[in-house]
Amino acid sequence: MRTALALIVFLVGGRAFATSDAPPSGAIPAGATEAAPLPEFPPDPSFEPSYKLEGIEVRGNHKTKTNLILREVGLHVGDVVSANDARVSLARLRLLALGFFLDVHLSLVKGAERGQASLVVEVEERGTIILDALYLGTSQATSVWGGLAATERNLLGRGLSLGGGFVGSTRPEVAGAEPGFAGALHMAGPPAFFSGRLALQASFNISRGSEFFRTSGDESSANPANFVAANVRRLGGALGAGRALSRTFFLTGEARFESIRAELPGELGQLLADGLMTPIPFAVREGDSHLGSLSLILDVDSRTDPVLPRGGHHISLSVEATTTAFASSYGFVKGVAQASNYFSLPWGHVIGIHGYLGGIWGDAPYFDRFFVGDLNQLLPPRALGLNFSTQPSHNLLGTGIAAHRYDNLAGRALVEYAIPIWSRHGLLYRGDAFAAFGVFAVSNPDDLKNRNLSLSQSIASDLTADLGIRLDTYIGIFTLSVANAIGRIPF
Amino acid sequence: MTWHPRILCLGLLAWLHAVQALAAPPMVRTAGIARKADKLVVSVGLQDLFGARDVERLLSGFSTRVLIRVAILHDGGGEPVAQSMRLAEIVYDLWDEKLRVRFSTDRPGVAETQIVASPKAAVDLATSLSAFPLVEIGKLEPSASYHLSLRADLNPISEELVSNMRRWLSHPSGRGRSGAGDSFFGSFVSVFVNPRVDDSERLLQVVSQSFVPPAGASP
Repeated sequence: MRTALALIVFLVGGRAFATSDAPPSGAIPAGATEAAPLPEFPPDPSFEPSYKLEGIEVRGNHKTKTNLILREVGLHVGDVVSANDARVSLARLRLLALGFFLDVHLSLVKGAERGQASLVVEVEERGTIILDALYLGTSQATSVWGGLAATERNLLGRGLSLGGGFVGSTRPEVAGAEPGFAGALHMAGPPAFFSGRLALQASFNISRGSEFFRTSGDESSANPANFVAANVRRLGGALGAGRALSRTFFLTGEARFESIRAELPGELGQLLADGLMTPIPFAVREGDSHLGSLSLILDVDSRTDPVLPRGGHHISLSVEATTTAFASSYGFVKGVAQASNYFSLPWGHVIGIHGYLGGIWGDAPYFDRFFVGDLNQLLPPRALGLNFSTQPSHNLLGTGIAAHRYDNLAGRALVEYAIPIWSRHGLLYRGDAFAAFGVFAVSNPDDLKNRNLSLSQSIASDLTADLGIRLDTYIGIFTLSVANAIGRIPF
Repeated sequence: MTWHPRILCLGLLAWLHAVQALAAPPMVRTAGIARKADKLVVSVGLQDLFGARDVERLLSGFSTRVLIRVAILHDGGGEPVAQSMRLAEIVYDLWDEKLRVRFSTDRPGVAETQIVASPKAAVDLATSLSAFPLVEIGKLEPSASYHLSLRADLNPISEELVSNMRRWLSHPSGRGRSGAGDSFFGSFVSVFVNPRVDDSERLLQVVSQSFVPPAGASP
């Protein structure tokens, strides 16, 4: 059962990509015909006739509102446009960037008087429902979990985005655990990339599930009998507003509120190998508690492509703060810095270097801490905030990583090597084979302050790796990776 | 536990197979390669860059651009020995009902303009290179074997703008940009109608036959 599930996960599941234009094969080196900037003709009014617009007509929009299209076109009756007017090509790109159209074409038809013309905007609409994520997995603790997330990006033809997702699991084989379920809804206003408007967004989440805490047994063991479950219910949402500061900088502010109800197990201690008992760090208040926070996220993205980059960088800096002064039961500040940089090698292959650094100061609930499964690609990540596995990290470096699940300090460095294998072949646009290798480390401020421990003892680390193929296709974006399968197999 | 190595092997085999077996060779287009004075020149037609719909759209009133980029490469691979490009633009005047084609010349800032009788004639003019100068022949090794890489773009867009569009299409309204706690390598699969956003409306990329630099007097 688990082997079959793991294979399905390998075939359909995906890990997010970290990686532009490639030659069709190794016969043409990268940049041989495409590196130079686009040439321009000197201005010549005698070659470029101009027309005064006497009307604008939109054709082909069965679903999308005409007003939304006209707003993005940005041209008005009475405007004078020339044959190679930059505003016209930009209008086409703005419409394509909405993601609602397969193709957009602008043309002119003769007007009533010489020098006048009507602008015709023809659009070819596309499906705007996106399957964002598939959740499918199995672990020693949970026989199976599954779910999906989808988004309608052009709700009622007004450019609104409405999405939702869910994940559910069988009852975990951990004492006191309950079947997991999580759902999420999110809404966003019309795309505001070119317009500079505020991009408003709201989300709502609900979950009920168990988190697992070790009570006994060897740290490297995932045996569910050695764990107890804390059953946690979460209900909350977030309101946010974002704005493109430039074509590469995006700033988002978000306010989040959650109500939490936790039932902790009767067993409150962990029996260590030396026979001593230590309290279990549940990191969640028993009974009812609340969490309210404010976040600021700066995103800088100059990648040549979001799926298969050949150059550029992506940096994300975020800070989230909550205080008990704002009726929050938890008071903490969380900072995360992520950076990826891509270099194209002369022979067309790509190296991606990824760094991740995060720290929490204060009293954060476990679900806001850094989870080992989110850092190690060889472990199952959380789905909509729920963890379904007791699998510890594999401890390939011989540190104390197996004892770490949720931590306040985390870092990861990862190098990825990608080889372009397809480019522009029918419905399969591009594909890369990739191999990634890295190291991550976690710790807690208390461990660092403990003078009885050396630095290497207070910081636990492990290796992580992945190998697979990323595909950009007409029907979506897929990553087929070995880690998808391995991450869900206990070893 | 015994099946675990098998899954690893399966992944490795799939990866190697993808890398080694699935790379498709580029199309070969026979080109006229000759010596004119001290320059290597090429004559080639790339009319298949235009589809039937693109030819109709030449009468749209807005300009249509064709950029042809040529690189000379050693048959053994490596960096291009030389690169050249030619830009052509086709414009239909709605009121004069005339099709004009202008194209760049080897003199910087100087363009040549012609009036043609039909869209087909405009396409022929814009997509054909006739004795197009590539490089001084003395810069090529006399006995080495070379080939040309030719790329033609219909209405090319700047690389930066295309990159911005691709990123935006993957992160509408800022949602989905890396936020607090996200991971660059989090679990992900995205299924949707995903039209290609290219750096041109159509692209034709071919390579020429191999050649040795022509010696002797120019034609």
